[in-house]
Amino acid sequence: MTLISPQAAVIDQVIKEFPSGNDVIRVLHGISLGIDYGKMTMLVGPSGCGKTTVLSILSGTLSATSGTVTVMNERLDRLKNDDLVRFRRRKIGFIFQQYNLIPTLNVAENAAIPLISDGVAWEDALAQSGRMLDHLGLGPHKAKFPRQLSGGQQQRVAIARALSHNPALVVCDEPTAALDAASGQAVMALLDEAAYDPNRAVLVVTHDDRIFSFADRIIRMEDGRVIDDGLTQSLPQKV
Amino acid sequence: MVSLGTQSGQRSYLGMIGIALKMLMGDPVKYFGLVFGIGFSTLLMSQQASIFVGLLTWGANPVLDVRQAQIWVMDPRVKQPDQGQPISDQSLYRVRSVDGVAWAVPYARSAATVKTMQGNIAAVTLVGVDNQSMVGLPEENLTNSMAAIRGRNAAILDGNTTHLIWADGRDPIGEAVEINDNRIVVTGLTSSLTNFSGLPTLYMKYSDAIAITPPERNKLSFVLVEAKPGIEPEALAKRITEVTGLKALTRQQFAAAGTQFIIENTGIPISFGAAIGLGILVAVVITALTLAMFVAENLKNFGALKAIGVTNRQILVMVLSQALLVGFIGYGIGIGGTAAFLYFGQADPSLRGFKALGEIVGGSALLVMVIVLGSAYVSVRKVLKLDPAIVFRG
Repeated sequence: MTLISPQAAVIDQVIKEFPSGNDVIRVLHGISLGIDYGKMTMLVGPSGCGKTTVLSILSGTLSATSGTVTVMNERLDRLKNDDLVRFRRRKIGFIFQQYNLIPTLNVAENAAIPLISDGVAWEDALAQSGRMLDHLGLGPHKAKFPRQLSGGQQQRVAIARALSHNPALVVCDEPTAALDAASGQAVMALLDEAAYDPNRAVLVVTHDDRIFSFADRIIRMEDGRVIDDGLTQSLPQKV
Repeated sequence: MVSLGTQSGQRSYLGMIGIALKMLMGDPVKYFGLVFGIGFSTLLMSQQASIFVGLLTWGANPVLDVRQAQIWVMDPRVKQPDQGQPISDQSLYRVRSVDGVAWAVPYARSAATVKTMQGNIAAVTLVGVDNQSMVGLPEENLTNSMAAIRGRNAAILDGNTTHLIWADGRDPIGEAVEINDNRIVVTGLTSSLTNFSGLPTLYMKYSDAIAITPPERNKLSFVLVEAKPGIEPEALAKRITEVTGLKALTRQQFAAAGTQFIIENTGIPISFGAAIGLGILVAVVITALTLAMFVAENLKNFGALKAIGVTNRQILVMVLSQALLVGFIGYGIGIGGTAAFLYFGQADPSLRGFKALGEIVGGSALLVMVIVLGSAYVSVRKVLKLDPAIVFRG
């Protein structure tokens, strides 16, 4: 019998240091935390506190200097580079602050990239991403190019891209930072819906206190350390 | 750990190539810049190389025009076919006496000036061919040519250059010209390969040709030789030199000497080498810079792709496929331009016979591919080293 962890991702005693000239700067000081399935976890804190570094390490795009990183029972620090890339491709969905859509691909093609890069036939990938776009209300815009969409619509395309391959972990870096309030709320509502899936965890790194109400759990960081882990009483009730 | 099956692995590369080509073609300024840059440089390289080779061939053409003889015998100081240094008539008989010679015939080649009945004068190359065998005449229209110059002081003329003697474009057959106060009648036309001097070539019987040239002790320019069956021309040429003390070269060796003379004694290799070098430089600069700009502008997107799970190998294939596409299209445009130039250039006598040799077509293809793939590899190295986490850094 396989024991399934209730947490999608766990980092334990993670230290991260970056070289700076002849010195080394420590940005994470032995952080330990877990990201739960079926919940939206927000990682918040001031600029430079290390939250994006945590996101990068959890998503396997950055290696920790020491400590362990386990995502879906897989020790990322033990994976070879090619295996780590494949792991990211299949298990993790990414949403970036600046959307990072390829301007010369249309909406459907952009959303299908994780599938295409994983070897799904082009037509099948477009069909699968198309269903996700329909679900996110972008069906009429499939053939459009990113420049023809508003910021909020572009971020919804990015969400479709992040979810098209049905990943178990979705990591979002400041997903509403470039959006107005209404668009930000709409985007967060979609992410919140994604987080209801008991087989998926959503981790959002954000400064934007307008969206804290979507969080099931908020982890606060400061100076490379976790200073608070939980939903504070002062926050509004989750919508 | 999960791994891709062979089929889905291949599909993933094909899919990423599709994305790469859409990325490229969606940026028309860079796409067309690359295509036309490569096209222009291919045109420059292949067209200039074709002209260069064509010009070099001019040095060999007087030899290549004479297909019947395997060996040319000459004064040891002669370096190329238009460099006349007469040898004694006895040389002909000495050559004939060499063991292994099937036949040997005289061949005279000298410069002359013709005066037309209309008062024009023109420089020509006067060729005297053996009275009996007519060895030395160009192959084209050979039977008619042989018949046409059997009469006394009859001459046949290279039909491609008659305009250099009669600018009014008249039919030269039946026209009389004067060479050294001797009346010659043009009785036929042939087609000889263009030679380096660019002068019209006038063919006569050997006896007629030496009779109308100014008096000098020797008038025999070359002895043309055929080896007996089973005798290697190279070996026979060596034997002729040993026996007679004259220089004897096979047809191929003497043709090569003609081109070598141009290479060593004219500025053609430098000027054409510079043009070809310029073509390579244009290709390298345009391709390398444009690809580098393209990759640099897409660095963030490549970073996002790497974060999402696109492997370095897939990214390498993407950029190489972009480079190959523009390379193929640009090369096709360039080589097509060269082909068109040479095709339509055949109407111009100065370009007649020029062609894009297989070596030039293949060589420029190889060069273009090396340039585009090399430029692509240099550009993509930055992406391969790119930390995917860069995409989270704003």
